[in-house]
Amino acid sequence: MKKLLATLALLSLFPGVAWAEEARSPRFVPLEVQLDSAEPVAAWQFELKDREAASKVVGIENGGHAAFRRAPYYDRAAVDRGETSRIVVADYSLAGADELPAGRFRLATLHLMVRGEPDFELRLVTATTPDGSAIDASISLAEPNPDPQERSP
Amino acid sequence: MNRKIRFALSATLSATTVLVGIAWLGSCAAPPEEAQEPAPAPAAHPNSSSQPVIEDIDRIEFPRSPDVDSQPVRAVDEIWVIAKPDSEAGIPKEAALEEVAVSATYRNTKLLDSPAGVVSSELVNRTELPRSRATVAKVQSEAEDDAADPGSGAMVANVASEADDGGTHQVPLPLQHTAVDASVAGHIGTVNVRQQFTNPFDTKIEAVYLFPLPEKAAVTEFLMVIGERTIRGILREREEAEAIYHEARAQGYKASLLVQRRPNIFEQKVANIEPGNAIDVDITYFHALAYKDGWYSFVFPTVVGPRFNPPGRADPIPAMPRGGNTQAAGPTGVEYLKPTERSGHDLAITVQIDAGVSIEELKSTHEIDIERDGAASATVQLAHRKTVPNRDFVLDFRVAAEDVKSNLMTHRDPETGEGFFSLMVIPPLETETVARRPMEMVFVIDCSGSMSEWPLQQAKEAIRTALGRLNPNDTFQIIRFSDNASQFGAAPVPATEANLAAARRYLEGLTGAGGTWMIEGIKAALDFPHSPSRFRFVTFMTDGYIGNEGEILAEVHRRLGAARIFSFGVGTSVNRYLLERLAKEGRGVSAYLGLHDSAEEVMGSFFERVSHAALTDIEIDWGGMTVSETYPSRLPDLFVGRPLVVSGRFEGEPDVLTVSGTVDGTRRSLVVEARGQGAGPSVAKVWARSNIADLSDRQATAGDPHGKLGETILRVALQHQLVSNYTSFVAVDSSEPTKGQYGVTVHQAVPVPDGVRYDTTVE
Repeated sequence: MKKLLATLALLSLFPGVAWAEEARSPRFVPLEVQLDSAEPVAAWQFELKDREAASKVVGIENGGHAAFRRAPYYDRAAVDRGETSRIVVADYSLAGADELPAGRFRLATLHLMVRGEPDFELRLVTATTPDGSAIDASISLAEPNPDPQERSP
Repeated sequence: MNRKIRFALSATLSATTVLVGIAWLGSCAAPPEEAQEPAPAPAAHPNSSSQPVIEDIDRIEFPRSPDVDSQPVRAVDEIWVIAKPDSEAGIPKEAALEEVAVSATYRNTKLLDSPAGVVSSELVNRTELPRSRATVAKVQSEAEDDAADPGSGAMVANVASEADDGGTHQVPLPLQHTAVDASVAGHIGTVNVRQQFTNPFDTKIEAVYLFPLPEKAAVTEFLMVIGERTIRGILREREEAEAIYHEARAQGYKASLLVQRRPNIFEQKVANIEPGNAIDVDITYFHALAYKDGWYSFVFPTVVGPRFNPPGRADPIPAMPRGGNTQAAGPTGVEYLKPTERSGHDLAITVQIDAGVSIEELKSTHEIDIERDGAASATVQLAHRKTVPNRDFVLDFRVAAEDVKSNLMTHRDPETGEGFFSLMVIPPLETETVARRPMEMVFVIDCSGSMSEWPLQQAKEAIRTALGRLNPNDTFQIIRFSDNASQFGAAPVPATEANLAAARRYLEGLTGAGGTWMIEGIKAALDFPHSPSRFRFVTFMTDGYIGNEGEILAEVHRRLGAARIFSFGVGTSVNRYLLERLAKEGRGVSAYLGLHDSAEEVMGSFFERVSHAALTDIEIDWGGMTVSETYPSRLPDLFVGRPLVVSGRFEGEPDVLTVSGTVDGTRRSLVVEARGQGAGPSVAKVWARSNIADLSDRQATAGDPHGKLGETILRVALQHQLVSNYTSFVAVDSSEPTKGQYGVTVHQAVPVPDGVRYDTTVE
């Protein structure tokens, strides 16, 4: 299985937003996680780190595909004693192969509370087919469409 | 009776189509008194200047279709009724609803649009109308001759500002519906609760709702649902979660927060609900069902009873009239609807049971529909979808007693390898014949205002039954408390005919009024010399409506001595947390007496059981397991029909364990085999919840709210992802802030529990 390491500066993700500490109040921002796979995906797991520990996950939203309608699960280490610079998110679907997503699709939207400038490192831990075979897939962060109804599938 | 405003259709009906346009502001009910900022006046609809305006409309009815009627439309500010009469006389009297078309619009968004003059339940059901909303106009499709009744196509609005036939009127509140979906496997229930909040006002609101859950509920999942989007909440330290919520609320983001106020009372907040919009909250918890005499009980409490809070106590839960929170500083209280008020909040419950053994009988406090899927399984639903949530829902199911065996369920965490177990020990039936020792029976009866009338009558009847079962070797005492405590005799007296007759007269004179100074009852019941030749049983008869449970439990811990405490909950929505903890602390058991129960039967059965301890001085040989952190930490006596449930952690291999105790002066033992290995993570959750409850009890008795016990609770709660006094769920939708500040805080007012008087309980 190919593991993709995607390091992205939030500034490049959201060019319209000035991430300098303009105000003392934290910001709330959504962060979309997308997967690109040539094969149907039945299960997946990714890890997101903020090397600057400038963000906290305050919600995890379901992806856009019908096979993954529920909100994904997260690893409890994400909230252990407030050390919130890392989170592991995962989900699976029992749908048949013809009902599973392939190509580029949205795994989840992470809702973040941000102070300062986060520096994210995204890693696909695993993505598998219905029979459990690992998939050669790539994972990336994206800026969600401001209108939730218009987001990528 | 509601005022009815009728709008006659234009007399100049065309031969084909008639349009009636009505605009109104009915959905824009005035919000409750401001908490943060003044609410703007409801905005007038653009058409309102030229159209008749109906104020305070509270629902829409389609009289010819019950299905449609069950999907009322709220927050509609414009309705067009398009009638297709087949003659100028209007719609024939027998015309079907299908001949009337309805279009409903709110804020330029079409909520309901019927094609070509057709309205059907299918149309309404597939239209994404906010459920259970409160608005109204009645579409009449029948021609009516009476001049007082307008003709065909008339629209009738029911105005909610005055009392209807039932003497009540509806007030607009955010919580519309609670849907409970539970599945029971063995004796563990997994329960999903969906709370549907909407905004019936014309300004943004924050909804706040204090609600009960079972006292042993292990809340482990929290979701915020906005349309098709589901956002999983994150469990964090309580203060951190509250800070995140308040920040998101202040910045205009939709957010929700779940905080535990008591082990059985939770506070739900939902911020930035825009006018006409809805936000749902899903909560999932695990719950171990109670078992006695062959019956399992699934309990879903629906309303927090009005608590009495002695002055100066930390974190009280005040009882106040609707709107009272806006005037009170300090912690959120429970707001109650007046007897003449009702909200649109209703309740639906579905329970799927897979008992694992044959189910022989089912019964409930509510009218239910039962579907049997097999000998060991059943699906149960509340018969009425719109049940008013003003009393506990209790579903009891009886299983073949001989099939219920003592058992041990275990689970190993796949990641850490940690082992958890749940042991249930069923006492052998033959111990029923054990002769009982002489008793010193102390009845402590709550005579506060919340117990007045019916609950007090039930409590008296129960005590009369117990008195009738005493024999001359027993002694007894009756202690009453409200604002103070007093008692029947200076000391326990022998159960002679004369003393029993005097006691019955004493009981007859008791009335309910005043506060619930339970501490006085505790002191009076436990602070006198104990006769070593008798078992001392202290039986508390109360609804438990107090806000200082920790103080009461600490006092019992200090004063218990050799006594056993038996708690007897009287009422339809009693404080089960207090009653269960009293019994646990007092090494006794609990029982409940509801509105329609026979006090004689319930007390008779209870008395028989508690007067014959099946096993005392219990010890357990754990066989191949090395156990730790077991709960309850102090094993109680075992009574016939009442199982002992112990949860804990283990290492080693579960095989066979031996439970031994004293019966009638001799040691007896019984063997339990491990049969439920790999029982699932719920075993770990139930253990973690028991662990937290035990630590909390120790906090109460040790007075250590911020010390090591608190640290341990926090660690366990985070590790097992459970809501606790130190951990809360928070969820934020950061997609897009709503406009403006977060608006008005609206507290969800609730009815006082069935059988409880508003005038004697709500401050």
